[in-house]
Amino acid sequence: MNLLTLNDVVVGYAKGKPLLPPVSLTFSSGEVVGVLGPNGAGKSTLLKTVLGLLPPLSGQLSLPLKRRPRLGYVPQGARPDFAYPLSVLQVTLMGRAAQLGLVKRPSAADAAIALSQLEGVGLAHVAQAPFRSLSGGQQQRVLVARALTAEPELLVLDEPTSEMDPAAEHALLSLVSQRVAARGIAVVFVTHEISAAAAFADRVVLLDSRQKYVEAGPATSLVCSEVMSRLYGRPVEVRREADRTLVWLSGTVPSEGGAR
Amino acid sequence: MSFWDARFLWGEPMAASVLAAALLGYLGFFVVLRRMAFMSASLSQVSGLGVAVAFWVGSLMNVEPHAPTPWLLSPGTFAFAFAGLGAMAMAVTPRSRRVSPESLVALLYLGASAGVMVVLASPRIAQEAHEVGDLLFGNAVVVRREDLVELAIAAAVTLGLHALFFKEFLFASFDADTANVFGVPVKRMELLLYFSLALCIAVATRAIGALPVFAFLVLPAGAALLFSERLHVVLTLSVAIAVVCAALGYYLSWTLSLPTGPVMVSLTVVTWAFAALKRFFDKRK
Repeated sequence: MNLLTLNDVVVGYAKGKPLLPPVSLTFSSGEVVGVLGPNGAGKSTLLKTVLGLLPPLSGQLSLPLKRRPRLGYVPQGARPDFAYPLSVLQVTLMGRAAQLGLVKRPSAADAAIALSQLEGVGLAHVAQAPFRSLSGGQQQRVLVARALTAEPELLVLDEPTSEMDPAAEHALLSLVSQRVAARGIAVVFVTHEISAAAAFADRVVLLDSRQKYVEAGPATSLVCSEVMSRLYGRPVEVRREADRTLVWLSGTVPSEGGAR
Repeated sequence: MSFWDARFLWGEPMAASVLAAALLGYLGFFVVLRRMAFMSASLSQVSGLGVAVAFWVGSLMNVEPHAPTPWLLSPGTFAFAFAGLGAMAMAVTPRSRRVSPESLVALLYLGASAGVMVVLASPRIAQEAHEVGDLLFGNAVVVRREDLVELAIAAAVTLGLHALFFKEFLFASFDADTANVFGVPVKRMELLLYFSLALCIAVATRAIGALPVFAFLVLPAGAALLFSERLHVVLTLSVAIAVVCAALGYYLSWTLSLPTGPVMVSLTVVTWAFAALKRFFDKRK
């Protein structure tokens, strides 16, 4: 099912200063889309436009459901303020904000939904612990649980693993992938790990604002040495093996993207 | 005359101090976590400018500084209007690299401080300037009945707003982008939060003074955050610390003949220092 379509959408912050050429994309249920590009490529700007946080400079966002799809969102690692004295459950319950609307408080049923999502990410046992007492990886899992508590149709992850090592990133994306597969949720994730995009995305969107370059297509055909080298402006080697993809800069050690 | 026998003298000032402290202790939770400590000092100064301008406007219309004035010309109305405008300017000014929130806070603080001095130097109100000082920045020893009533109204409005929108204020403060995505009207919530702050700061500054207001907005919540990591405990402790410091401060200043505001502030400083020390030693265990 088609959830959201971008028709020749131009993204950017100031009129007359588009960051990227017009983008046309469709987000459909059950599909995982990876967004790749170097730093400053316009990835987060594109996501903000998809999320409705930034209006497009031109073009159209069409809503085939005649309403915005229910959104789940996992922000960049350092975005939430970790000084707040909130428990893991209180953070997860924030995911019910859209369902509750203004004024209404979460009920026992909302708490049960939040707890079941925490259980899904393996953190139900720390539901009452202070959020800030968890490790970085655990906090990101809580934010994934919060996003899923919103019962999203479209789940957006903006470099959720920017402060994690590649192994932790793969563990988190595996978890997301398991949690969303059965429910047919559409997923968009921004990553710097080419191997993660190769392993988890059905389609990829490649961006670079400096080259004024946008390309979208199947991950199997676009995540290759030639296209990645062009995108990052340096020689990148990509080798697909049976159930994994190896990626490395020429002259360095490969990083591995395993199967989902 | 014992302290208790003199309660007809200190009853209202004590009630005003405790009410203002409770209100500010609660709001301090947001002030400290949103890192707006100096914004509160700035708003206090801006509301002071409002009071000075009210006297100046009153003098143009031949209104006596201490005589009852129509509400439109009253210093309270001006104080709230100025603080409200200041809060709105801070809420709606987009963050950019060129105009940081800190620069805006400093601009308002300096502009208001200089403005107060310039307005009070006006020959129209020069004679009352020293008395205006008390009215500008309060004096917890003598609190007028109107100040207490204004405080009670501000408390009712603020508590009503926060009872309705606490969930939204919390989410918008903790993670604004995600709150926006999940349908929370973050900008409107920030305006409401700033409005409640401006209201309380404007009213409390006139009742108990700028220094205690700044202290009650920052230190009790800061100490509570050092004592606990539980939301409800932090909120309760913050209010309790502020109330105890206000009441005990008032009592000590009365019995030891010390200035009231500074004694209250000193107690909040001591409490914060105790909380910091306790946390330091707890962490070393």
